[in-house]
Amino acid sequence: MATVECRNIRKCYGELEVIRDFNLSIQDHEFVVFLGPSGCGKSTLLRMVAGLEDITGGDLLIGGARMNDRDPGDRGIAMVFQNYALYPHMTVRHNITFGLERTGVGKAEIERRLTPVVDALGLAIYLDRKPVELSGGQQQRVAIARAMIKTPEVFLFDEPLSNLDAKLRGHLRVEIARLHKTLKSTSIYVTHDQLEAMTLADRIVLMNQGRIEQMGTPEEIYSRPATLFAAGFIGTPNMNFMQFEVEGGALRDGLIHLPAPAGAQGQVTLGIRPGSVEVLPDAAEGSLPALVERDEFHGETRLVSLRCGTHSLMASVPAHMALQEGQELHIRLPEDKLHYFDTQTGQRLD
Amino acid sequence: MKLGRSLPVVFLGPALIVLIILAAVPTLYAFNISLQNRTLSAPDADYVWFANYIALFGDARFLNALWVSLKWEVLTVSATMIVGIGLAIAMFEAATPRWRNVLTLLFIIPVLLPRVCAAFVWKFSFHPLYGAVTWPVRAITGETPDILASPLGAMLAVAFVDVWQWGPVFAVIILKLMEALPPQPLEAARIDRCKRWEIHVFITLPMLKLPLISLILVKAIESLRSFDLVYVMTRGGPGIATETLDMYAYSQGFIEAGKISYASGMAVVMLVLTVVMFTMIWKRLNR
Repeated sequence: MATVECRNIRKCYGELEVIRDFNLSIQDHEFVVFLGPSGCGKSTLLRMVAGLEDITGGDLLIGGARMNDRDPGDRGIAMVFQNYALYPHMTVRHNITFGLERTGVGKAEIERRLTPVVDALGLAIYLDRKPVELSGGQQQRVAIARAMIKTPEVFLFDEPLSNLDAKLRGHLRVEIARLHKTLKSTSIYVTHDQLEAMTLADRIVLMNQGRIEQMGTPEEIYSRPATLFAAGFIGTPNMNFMQFEVEGGALRDGLIHLPAPAGAQGQVTLGIRPGSVEVLPDAAEGSLPALVERDEFHGETRLVSLRCGTHSLMASVPAHMALQEGQELHIRLPEDKLHYFDTQTGQRLD
Repeated sequence: MKLGRSLPVVFLGPALIVLIILAAVPTLYAFNISLQNRTLSAPDADYVWFANYIALFGDARFLNALWVSLKWEVLTVSATMIVGIGLAIAMFEAATPRWRNVLTLLFIIPVLLPRVCAAFVWKFSFHPLYGAVTWPVRAITGETPDILASPLGAMLAVAFVDVWQWGPVFAVIILKLMEALPPQPLEAARIDRCKRWEIHVFITLPMLKLPLISLILVKAIESLRSFDLVYVMTRGGPGIATETLDMYAYSQGFIEAGKISYASGMAVVMLVLTVVMFTMIWKRLNR
């Protein structure tokens, strides 16, 4: 059981600094997800924790001990790779036990530890096959088993589900969540898929361009995104954004008139999630007229593109609410569901 | 005939015709001669059927040549593979991409040298009085070591030249194969507490098993055709210590006796042995 601590970690490739001054403290048993778009440095960071990349500056502590110069094998970690990284010439059984053999664990002990791991992941019937004879999902299960059997202090997952099809991804995601519940190992999970992050994480570390954009529980990040980037990255369908100029303590553009948050100046971006936009059949107190531009059927819900004055925005409505393109209706933007950001700095305003 | 059926014929046909003319005709001709008692000194000959073959297996010098050929094969193939794999791993571990390119270029040079030239260069280097290789021994002890004059020394010296030509090229090929491997299993092995050399023993080399087997066979076939090297450096000597099958066949056929039928018989035996052994080794290693 271990904590992981990153203190002022930097990473440079030659002149290019990809991660600067990264600070993070991960508690024992915690499941932390590094979330961010491609190239934000999340995988590099994970590989530095694993010891596969050199750390340019700062300190990495696992279980309180400095790990910067230790070999990957001596850090008490296990890693699951995006493309499984199984040893193609070994059987499934040997793939799983290879790490223990190298550590010098006895045959009987290996056998004893193999059974529960294999049972937990349903791999018993594949033990004597080679990795090429397995499907992607099965291969990733083998990779998870290989990590599990070492009973590591820290589990590292590098986009483990990205190579799988959507259905398998959902299935394995549940499995990983279940495994973490039973094993309780500290886990760091890297993904660009916000759904994976939201469902698995105790805490999400949202990253952008080599630094932390926001850190918090999935609920915190979803309900109170700290920046424009966080607001746009988390949540499907994407949050609506509308630009306003602050005039005399209010946001107005002829049609819309809203009180500005305290201290707002210059340009302000107003955000609201499509699910929070209320669609009304008739005009009501504080409602705005809008025009239906497009109507997408999503099964449970419909996603409607609306034009409201000079702004276009999406609203998510129940599927039974039939709307025609070109239909005029009214919407209301509930004040408690609005997010205000400074357009220049991207910072949240309230 | 449908296109799908005729396509193999269209593509393979010309190559097969060339091969039949160039390879099959001389082979059958050699087999035909080996059944006669033709010599270079007499214009006509009679069929003696398998008399040449029976004589061969009672010929101690032929059996020696078989044994020398076998030793030569094992020695050069294994040494080339060891040198190739060793150098490749050293480059993979220690050399930057820039150095790898430089070394790759350097390592290809020996094999570009025609083998006769390489043989002459090294033969002179091993010369007891003027050789560069023997110079330190001369300078220190005052003796004049004649490496090519002792049976073991001659064999090792000729094998050394062969490995000098082929080992570095194989190192380049193996390095490129290693570079083409996916990096993740190697990283996984590091996390599985493999030391650097263990990664190669347990992961990279087993992953390269099939190409390495192909390289072994390529080198084995190449080693069989070492006539020019042996001919220039030792002529099969000292005595018959480095007399391989092709060397002996050549001296029986052209230099010493002119017994062209006898030599052809030897060539046929060599062909059959090679085909049988390579097929067996190929099947075994590929399992």
